[in-house]
Amino acid sequence: MDNLSTLINRRVSRRKFLAGVGVGAGAVATLNLSACSSSTKPTTTSTPSGPTDADVLNFALNLEYLEAQFYLYAATGSGLQATDTTAGSASPYQTVGTVTLGNAAAVPGLTPAQQEILNEIAYEEQEHVRFLRSALGTAAVPMPDIDLSFFGPLAVAATITTAATGAGSFNPFSSFDYFLVGGFIFEDVGVTAYSGAAPLISAAGVAAGYLTAAAGILAVEAYHAGYIRTSLTGRAIAAGSEAAYSYLGAANLVEDLRATLTIGDSAAPSTAGSVETLLTLPPATTPASNTTASSIVAASPITAVGFARTVNQVLHIVYGSPTVGVASGGFFPSGMNSIFATTTA
Amino acid sequence: MASQETQVLDEIIAANRRKMLTLGVASLAGLAIAGVSAPWANAQTVAYTDSDILNFALNLEYLEANFYYLAAFGTTIDVANAASTAAGALQITLSGTVGTPGTVSGGRQVPFTTIPVASYAIEVAVEEGKHVQLLLTALGSSAVAQPAINLGSSFGTLAAAAKIPNGASFSPYASDDDFLVGAYVFEDVGVTAYHGAASLLTMSANLITAAGILAVEAYHAGLIRTTINYIDPTGASIGGYTNLISTLRASLSMAGLLGVAPSPYDSSPDDYGLADFSVSLAGAPNATATRLTDADPTNVVAFARNTTQVLNIVTGGGAVNGTTAVSPAVGVFFPAGMNAGPNGFK
Repeated sequence: MDNLSTLINRRVSRRKFLAGVGVGAGAVATLNLSACSSSTKPTTTSTPSGPTDADVLNFALNLEYLEAQFYLYAATGSGLQATDTTAGSASPYQTVGTVTLGNAAAVPGLTPAQQEILNEIAYEEQEHVRFLRSALGTAAVPMPDIDLSFFGPLAVAATITTAATGAGSFNPFSSFDYFLVGGFIFEDVGVTAYSGAAPLISAAGVAAGYLTAAAGILAVEAYHAGYIRTSLTGRAIAAGSEAAYSYLGAANLVEDLRATLTIGDSAAPSTAGSVETLLTLPPATTPASNTTASSIVAASPITAVGFARTVNQVLHIVYGSPTVGVASGGFFPSGMNSIFATTTA
Repeated sequence: MASQETQVLDEIIAANRRKMLTLGVASLAGLAIAGVSAPWANAQTVAYTDSDILNFALNLEYLEANFYYLAAFGTTIDVANAASTAAGALQITLSGTVGTPGTVSGGRQVPFTTIPVASYAIEVAVEEGKHVQLLLTALGSSAVAQPAINLGSSFGTLAAAAKIPNGASFSPYASDDDFLVGAYVFEDVGVTAYHGAASLLTMSANLITAAGILAVEAYHAGLIRTTINYIDPTGASIGGYTNLISTLRASLSMAGLLGVAPSPYDSSPDDYGLADFSVSLAGAPNATATRLTDADPTNVVAFARNTTQVLNIVTGGGAVNGTTAVSPAVGVFFPAGMNAGPNGFK
């Protein structure tokens, strides 16, 4: 195969990944060993077309801006420093966005131990912003407009407010338990977004360490998700029942909403084809007679492999819209600063 | 995924990665972005195939799955009992034939006294069993046999080396708390092993699956660290043990670099226990933070380890002699070494 057709094929295959990788890879784990051993196949040193590694990392940076602002405000009442939000000189996006705060404020009433946990997650997301900006250099996109008041409408759409707290009153900055539900909205999504993005990184990007970096951030997002899900589960067990701890049910309603929003992921959580695993509680029994697993991990019920989401699936969630052709909304009222900003499937 | 287009892409990636592996660390230095390198290239020039990498993972999954099955159900992965059946855990047919089959020694069901820890143990057991099955199925006739695994005295050996009080007599099966410490020994290691493997896998489908398993290992690690932190937030008991274990792992991991200086990304230490640390938040210094994530404190990217580093941890130092890799690596959890293909692991 000559270089030209190789390039064309490569571009097509990367587009196919963008459209389809989450469903195929997340729901049905695949391992393929049939074609992995030849070192005599054609190679190319040409620059690939289509999304660049910088495009992929900038997509992740948009998500990290959002997570960092949420956790920093929850932990401290302040957001990212201005120097952490600026545009790289070579970025086609030059306008630094603003944060619509809504109820954003330091979460009140935390125990010292809880405060330290919020501090950790806030710090780690802040450092992800800095790390990606450092890796991207002049290509880094600036922070887009971010709307932290979207938690309210999202909760209404998820019917959380009627189930747990009364219509219109959901506020992730109002208590530790509400904060956990707020964090839950992002964390599993962050994990799956990085899983979906990893295969998009080019061979040159792999050599340069981008894939390793992305996989390492993926792991950190999964640590965070493990923390959030363990805390919700543990506090529900301590409360005695799901009914006595409505936040667990609220988190599951978030999963229902995410599934509804995501085209290509319309399956109900914890069913075949879904990329969501509902939180469950073991029955109230004696520990020695308990035979029921918790569901801390979000993964395929068949293979226990974590899920992946495509760029489009992530956009539908953070825009709060199931519609194709949408370029803004939800947490990003002016859209992401990304070539992927518009939903295409 | 098997279209001609993706095949071409895979082959391009494969060729480039294999080239990278043979370049070694010096050549890579000029390519790396700030603070990041491809970790498995550091200390070795062995060109592992995808099959090798997945078999390495399978050895680790045999170890983890048997530990959790024994703790949760009181049985090994190949023998069903009432507890494993009730929990829906897979009974694994040990279909791997490459290498020398061994037996699993030590281990017993933990007399759990709390519902959370009991249900966590069951969940992790079930999930690790599925990982074993997934890898066995994918590898087919290339799958390695389950090697000899010591899940008894090896914990005491490591606990003593880590300087845990009365470590020589430590058993992870004695109580809920001790089980959590035993689990802590494994989980962050699984994260670093899959992370190290990610950039070596040549098939996109394998990379996606490895990334998904990496995520699950990190969920498990987050679960274990979170639970220990809730039980002992001040580090007076099991929380403090995590620091000792992480220090030991970091030391064994560093030896696994075989004298090759770590990149800034593979910093030393490459392992952190649950001790609090001080952070700067939104420009304000000196906030105290937990360490529920095991990651480098500057970039907050999880650590990656190469095969020698991982082997040196799970064999308790058996993989390294000075600045030379020992193959096969033998010790503690793997008393007869891992099973491998013709080229072995080192």
